[in-house]
Amino acid sequence: MSSVITISQLSKHYQVPEREGGLKAAITSLFNRKYRTVKAVNSITFNIEPGEVVGFLGPNGAGKTTTLKMLSGLLHPTSGDVRVLGYEPFRRSYDYLRQITLVMGNRNQLTWDLPALDSFDLQRAVYGIPVDEFKRTRDEFIDLLELKDLVNKPVRNLSLGERMKMEIVAALLHKPKVLFLDEPTLGLDVTMQRRIRVFIAEYNRRNNATVLLTSHYMADVEALCKRVIVIHHGRILFDGDLSNLVNQFSAYKTLSVTLQNPDTELSQYGEVLSKDDGRVTLRVPKAQTSQVTAKLLSDLQVDDLTVEDAPVDDIIDQVFSQKEEA
Amino acid sequence: MNPFKLAWTYFRIGMMNELQYRVNFFIQLLQSAIALTTGLIGLSLVFGQVNNLAGWSRAELLAVMGVHLLMGGVIRSAIQPNMERLMDDVLNGTLDFALTKPADAQALVSIREFRFWQLTDVLVGLVVIGVAVAQLQVRMEVLQVLAFIAALIMGAIMLYCVWLMVTSIAFWVIRVNDIVNLFEGLYAAGRWPVGVYPDWLRTGLTFLVPVAFAVTVPAEAMTNRLTPETMLFAAGLTLMFVVLARGVWLIGLRSYSGASA
Repeated sequence: MSSVITISQLSKHYQVPEREGGLKAAITSLFNRKYRTVKAVNSITFNIEPGEVVGFLGPNGAGKTTTLKMLSGLLHPTSGDVRVLGYEPFRRSYDYLRQITLVMGNRNQLTWDLPALDSFDLQRAVYGIPVDEFKRTRDEFIDLLELKDLVNKPVRNLSLGERMKMEIVAALLHKPKVLFLDEPTLGLDVTMQRRIRVFIAEYNRRNNATVLLTSHYMADVEALCKRVIVIHHGRILFDGDLSNLVNQFSAYKTLSVTLQNPDTELSQYGEVLSKDDGRVTLRVPKAQTSQVTAKLLSDLQVDDLTVEDAPVDDIIDQVFSQKEEA
Repeated sequence: MNPFKLAWTYFRIGMMNELQYRVNFFIQLLQSAIALTTGLIGLSLVFGQVNNLAGWSRAELLAVMGVHLLMGGVIRSAIQPNMERLMDDVLNGTLDFALTKPADAQALVSIREFRFWQLTDVLVGLVVIGVAVAQLQVRMEVLQVLAFIAALIMGAIMLYCVWLMVTSIAFWVIRVNDIVNLFEGLYAAGRWPVGVYPDWLRTGLTFLVPVAFAVTVPAEAMTNRLTPETMLFAAGLTLMFVVLARGVWLIGLRSYSGASA
């Protein structure tokens, strides 16, 4: 089967006016403006297959949103090729737009003063969804996200989490095949994040939809994405299984030990990260993990011991800092 | 997607929503009454001094006032709310949502909002026009009525086009609220036939802000002053404005990159 998204050497450069601080520079720049080229996305290449859920990771300003905007037809690429479902997104053909959706966690498309139900109706009209199908999809989503009691309230009276759920319903009513989700869980509490995550996973499963997701919450990525693409300064640093990312970049493991004698000094075994209630957390180089574990068990009276990979957040941090140095 | 059907859906939902807020209706009614009263006082002040103004009699000026009220209602109910929302969308980056819809973006941003209660002004305008026609004691021929309606529609289209062009400036400078205020001030000038103004202002009111065509020309149609040439000229100008507005919109859209996340 052919890829849903193919991106080849895709770049987007912006010309931004540049001037030094101060009034004089401000006046000079009125007449003689200097521009600087910012390479927001710099020759990236990847493919995404049907039904894949891919996490798109990177620090702020890495080029994630710019890439999503090129994919959803909002920005014209400076160079390179981009195709989604066989369409060139920037042509904004209606046939293409009908098959995709864009969700931005920090922005709303629902009308503030209207009940969400009315906004859904507007989506139906815009996408020309047949009424029966529309009602079926809408009720299915309302059910899945448990929104029944809220759809008649004006959107402005909903909580942030409730509103985001409504936003997602509105964005998916036309059953898009490709989902571009830009921080869909931004600012939500843990329970709400999980709800939305489960819903996206369910939508993906039922419709074999392809999802490209950016999020600052690693929990989202770990729960939804088998594969991640890491982007930094407009370039791709890593593209592959999340587990490989962990293996490749995680130099340490975390050992949690509970000892019978809580006062034992453990710094000779590894870097002590924390100590509370007799439970000690140690950071140990990955290669030495089994050695240290064996030593701990033979040297001391151990009640409990667990070995964990470093949190993905930390690993991502390391990926960025390593590449900065390189 | 049929844009008229879509516009109807927006209209229907907007109306249903606004009908819940009866207070708005009374506030709007009060505003219309104030506008009408001050207009009438202005007229009587003028005609306390003179018998006609640049060749327009009192009843004829009443007709101008009626058209001005009516067109003001059209602007405030259908044009201005959409353009204000467009401005907000450009500022906040939410225009992205409109641009990822399978519909013509210009059509979509032009039909999303409708302020139902502002139609009071349209109603009051129609009543004033009716009174004016009665006072004029002329029998309006069918052709004249048709010309009047056509002139109104063309005038509304021209105003929409100018407003869209002004709003499109937001693509480059983001904040254009002041320009909109200026537009409102100039529209207020349409309360009098453009013939009463000095040449330079009349030209501005004709070509920059086509108040002349939105208000004076329809009033001319009612008062037997309209020539086929003016009508033809209006049609040509409307077409020009439509093409120009489309062009400015498309160019503006190209420089829109959305507020970054």
